[in-house]
Amino acid sequence: MYGASMIRKELVAASAEPLILSLLSNGESYGYAIIQEVKARSGGKLQWTDGMLYPVLHRMENRGLIKSRWGESETGRKRKYYSLKRDGKTAMAKHHEQWSLVHSVLAGLQKEQFV
Amino acid sequence: MFDLEKAIADWRQQMLTAGIKTPVPLEELENHLREEIERQVKSGLTEQPALEISVRRIGQPEMLHREFKKSERTFMKRTLIILAGVFGVLVGMALLMPAAHLYKEQGMVHNAVVGFGWGIPIVLLGASTTFYGFNKRKA
Repeated sequence: MYGASMIRKELVAASAEPLILSLLSNGESYGYAIIQEVKARSGGKLQWTDGMLYPVLHRMENRGLIKSRWGESETGRKRKYYSLKRDGKTAMAKHHEQWSLVHSVLAGLQKEQFV
Repeated sequence: MFDLEKAIADWRQQMLTAGIKTPVPLEELENHLREEIERQVKSGLTEQPALEISVRRIGQPEMLHREFKKSERTFMKRTLIILAGVFGVLVGMALLMPAAHLYKEQGMVHNAVVGFGWGIPIVLLGASTTFYGFNKRKA
């Protein structure tokens, strides 16, 4: 996860799970696509160490937040697809709540600084 | 001539040596590696630099192994908690059932009291441990 990005590694680590859950809420996906999408959406600023995504995915699967199945890519290569479970949806909602809270406090403080 | 398949096989060996297991997660990591190599080659690189970049992006085998071990350990701990809870429930039931039978036949005699006295709390403890284990699973 902790690539040579400008974002602090603690923040990268903390945001991994909510990002993965939110991406999977749009539908089933697989590791490589998840990493590419995060990179694209962050304009290249969120660059995870590719391999480190997989222990995170496995942990989330062990905790019952997501499930996986082996499928095939367009070229016939085996590929593991992940999808959100109900507990994952609940966890995602909780993450959204908490991130919104932190964001609103920070934004409020920021506004005060310019008064 | 650069042999891509041999280079990937060498990479696999490094992963296995570091303790990364197969098929899970090594197959997933290898698929990822191959997709990244493909992308690099499509964007203009030749196979050798594409492989080198992709291997670097996947990460150090030892670091990955450490991370995978961490999630394995936690999973095992929580599974053990659930099993301990279930065991507790079974032990408690083993005490409760003869006690209940005795109570039906002879009323609240000493052995029945002992059976209930131990059985009920053990079943409750076992049940709450199991419940705790399931909840902790999500943490």
